[in-house]
Amino acid sequence: MSIMTNAQETTDPRSAPGGTPGVTRATLRRNFWRGVWRVLRRKPSRMVGVVIVAGFAVMGVAGPLLYPDHLPRDDDALYAPPSLRHPFGTDFEGTDVLALVITGARYVLLTGLATAVITVALGTLIGLFAGFRRGRWDTVLMRVTDVNLAIPGLPLLLVLSTVWKFESPLEMGLVLGLLGWGGIARAVRSQTLSLRERGFIEAARGLGLPTTHIIGRELLPSMAPYIAMNMLIAVTGAVYAQVGLFFLGVLPFESNNWGVMLNLAVFNGGALTTAAALPYLMAPLLAILLLTLGIVLIVDAMDEIFNPRLREE
Amino acid sequence: MKRLAAIVALAATLATATACGTTGTTGTTGNTGAAQTAGGGVFTTIDGSKQINASAPINPFNPVGSVFAGYNGMALAWPKNDPVDPNQFYPGLASSWTTTPDQSEVVIHLQPDARWSDGKPVTSEDVRVSIGLAYTQGGTAYALDPRAAGAAADIHVVDAKTLKITQGANRSGMFLSNLLSTVVVPAHVFGRLLPADFWHTLKVAQDGEGPAAEQAKAEITGLAEKVIAFGPAHDVSAGPFVLERVNPGAALLKRNPYFYNSKAIAPDKVKVLNYTGNEQIWNYLISGRLDNAPFTSVPTAVMERIRGAGGSKVIKGYSPVATSMAFNQAHKPYDNVHVRRALAYLIDRAQVTKIASPEGGTPAVTTSGIHAKAARAWLDGGFDTLERYRVDAAKADAELRAAGMTKRDGRWALPDGKPWQVQIHVPASFSDWVAAAKSISSQLGDHGIDATVVTAADYTLYLGELADGKYDVAFWLIGLGPSPYNIFQRLYGQANGWQMFGGRLSHVAPGTQGNWMGGPETVDAGADGRVNPGELTSRLSYATPEERKRVVGVLARLTNEQLPVIQLWDYVNTQFVNTSRYTAFPPDDHDALRLSSGVWMQLGMIKKRQA
Repeated sequence: MSIMTNAQETTDPRSAPGGTPGVTRATLRRNFWRGVWRVLRRKPSRMVGVVIVAGFAVMGVAGPLLYPDHLPRDDDALYAPPSLRHPFGTDFEGTDVLALVITGARYVLLTGLATAVITVALGTLIGLFAGFRRGRWDTVLMRVTDVNLAIPGLPLLLVLSTVWKFESPLEMGLVLGLLGWGGIARAVRSQTLSLRERGFIEAARGLGLPTTHIIGRELLPSMAPYIAMNMLIAVTGAVYAQVGLFFLGVLPFESNNWGVMLNLAVFNGGALTTAAALPYLMAPLLAILLLTLGIVLIVDAMDEIFNPRLREE
Repeated sequence: MKRLAAIVALAATLATATACGTTGTTGTTGNTGAAQTAGGGVFTTIDGSKQINASAPINPFNPVGSVFAGYNGMALAWPKNDPVDPNQFYPGLASSWTTTPDQSEVVIHLQPDARWSDGKPVTSEDVRVSIGLAYTQGGTAYALDPRAAGAAADIHVVDAKTLKITQGANRSGMFLSNLLSTVVVPAHVFGRLLPADFWHTLKVAQDGEGPAAEQAKAEITGLAEKVIAFGPAHDVSAGPFVLERVNPGAALLKRNPYFYNSKAIAPDKVKVLNYTGNEQIWNYLISGRLDNAPFTSVPTAVMERIRGAGGSKVIKGYSPVATSMAFNQAHKPYDNVHVRRALAYLIDRAQVTKIASPEGGTPAVTTSGIHAKAARAWLDGGFDTLERYRVDAAKADAELRAAGMTKRDGRWALPDGKPWQVQIHVPASFSDWVAAAKSISSQLGDHGIDATVVTAADYTLYLGELADGKYDVAFWLIGLGPSPYNIFQRLYGQANGWQMFGGRLSHVAPGTQGNWMGGPETVDAGADGRVNPGELTSRLSYATPEERKRVVGVLARLTNEQLPVIQLWDYVNTQFVNTSRYTAFPPDDHDALRLSSGVWMQLGMIKKRQA
């Protein structure tokens, strides 16, 4: 934590009168990425995590471009077993399951990303503000946070789905994000309450630095590891939530949605009863498992990237 | 799909219960076949119409009550699975019945030996009290409005085992079948629910006028909740079994020693297993736990495993229900018959059925509004003259052009040049409908029509949004026979704007009062002239047999030409039995196939397998 603070002091033009600010920042940035690379290389599992997440990112961006708008079907190969042509078999109307997983990745990932950004942005903002200002703002914002935490997410989403079709992943992400920021806000507030009493914050106050500087430059970087990890974990939470909702059948039908695939594999194909539709069930499950694994492995690396003490060990 | 199976079963039962006909029918008691020695054992099954609710009362008026039709729930008679005649019944608590040709009067004779499980005899008073309780719930035969078609006007107890029931002035051919479907409960248990002056109040409600009649009606309908909530301390049944205990996993019923035909009943006990989804029923069947399971939607691979279970057998029969894709004709471009025909020419119904309901359906031969088996019986040779709408892209293109649609860059657009997107609505919980809708959207996509599937979170929401006219195209059950009136009610009834108020038929504007199909009030039916389909449908409830057949022909041809719906597949009643413990189940196509195995036992079927 102290090193982070020192780094901030170094980057501040007022604390480095003899240096060139642009050069100093560029050097720091370069050093940071070198550090990241070093941390990733220390454990092969972390590289695996990066490769997996990068793979999913490519899948989300380019996946739908690899296939025609209407995926080809084979009327005579319904629930076909895995083969070289169809590594995960086919679905109920003879469509390649792998193609469905790849083209369906974009909705899942966009939802996860949108959820994570909204969750973290809202939670951090409210937690920081409440913890730093304390008093009436803290009371009001924490009561709002309590209300947010008390909202039963799944039942609310089930009710919302009757009036809102969630056709875009951003709509889905917005709702999941608005429902999920409470925990982060609480945790960030606690850390803020603790940090604001530390010497470097007292010093910053004593120097008459503006509040925005203290929050943005002193407090926020200290909490960056926690926030970044929560952001990644929020992605997995959002993936589970939306796949779960699609599985329950309460969200609009998209044949390549992973949750819809799970639903149809179980309820239409009898995947839990016979092996015929098992590949159809396993493909989206495997995708979710891989995505989660990738994120968990990166979170492991992130801990070390942001925590210099761990880096030194 | 679990819920759809239940709804199909209920819809078919309801259709039978409200069926119509004018032929006088006499039932007989010759029902049991050879009396056989009871073999004992526990017969295991499920109730296809509802799940078990351990806290529900033992009350047939409660929708989730622990009363199982044919086991500890008894009706006056049980409907046969006849494709065209809704007045065919097997005897239940009524041993026989007679009716005048116009069904103005029905005389019902009760089983002479029928007794409740506490030893008291089943009497005409029990039936009278049951009818009184039915009035609190409403219903066609027991409507409080004296102008309602087919309402009972007078219930007269002739003697302890005979009743005479008179129909009101506004006659309906469905009167007999509605009467015979009456569920009978013991007067000495349920009688206390009716106030002492109930029959006087009923008379005032039916025959009176002004505020007094309204108040009387309110008093009777006000009893509904009390009747539904009533929970007797223990089961008193006139059926072959009586409820012993119920828990969230199963209901256990033991033999009723006083059942009038006890010697025909083989099992000592019946266990009705609970389920939360079709998957559980599949697993029960694969493990051989069930002696019988009613219609359950089953994928092909699961069916193979079920067939592989020791003693497992599949019985198939007629089910008077079909699935269709219906249009909201108040929405463009579906108001144009050429568009509807074009879509019919583009949908490969065999492929849709293969994907959606390979084991529980047969592809619709054509669209007539009637299940193919019943349609052949009603239309004779006329069925083969109907347009089949075989897949034909050229004909579809011609129809679309006739509708003014244009094709640009391989995609069809609306006459005004705007993109055309077909949204097919289905409830998310009906996985076979979802699969069918997806298959249709893919097929339309192949022909340059953008189509998407839109699911509703649940069936109740789906029906609500449907009734509000929010959907362009939606899946819809049709052909709910055997009554032709009920069959065409699905196409030219309330959903299409025709409503019966006080015995008078009227047509309401599309988008109002549940009119979501939005069809025109009168249609040019070619050689049959300009017709009012709703009026013709209404006529089916009281027409003579000859007239009924003619009207069915007109409506079937009209449906085939105008396509308010595209008929996709006709359901097949697929039942599962296991002959490891019991034998003598009904064969394929038996007319008792849609009844519970409790009724099969009453009819002398199901015998203990001898070692």
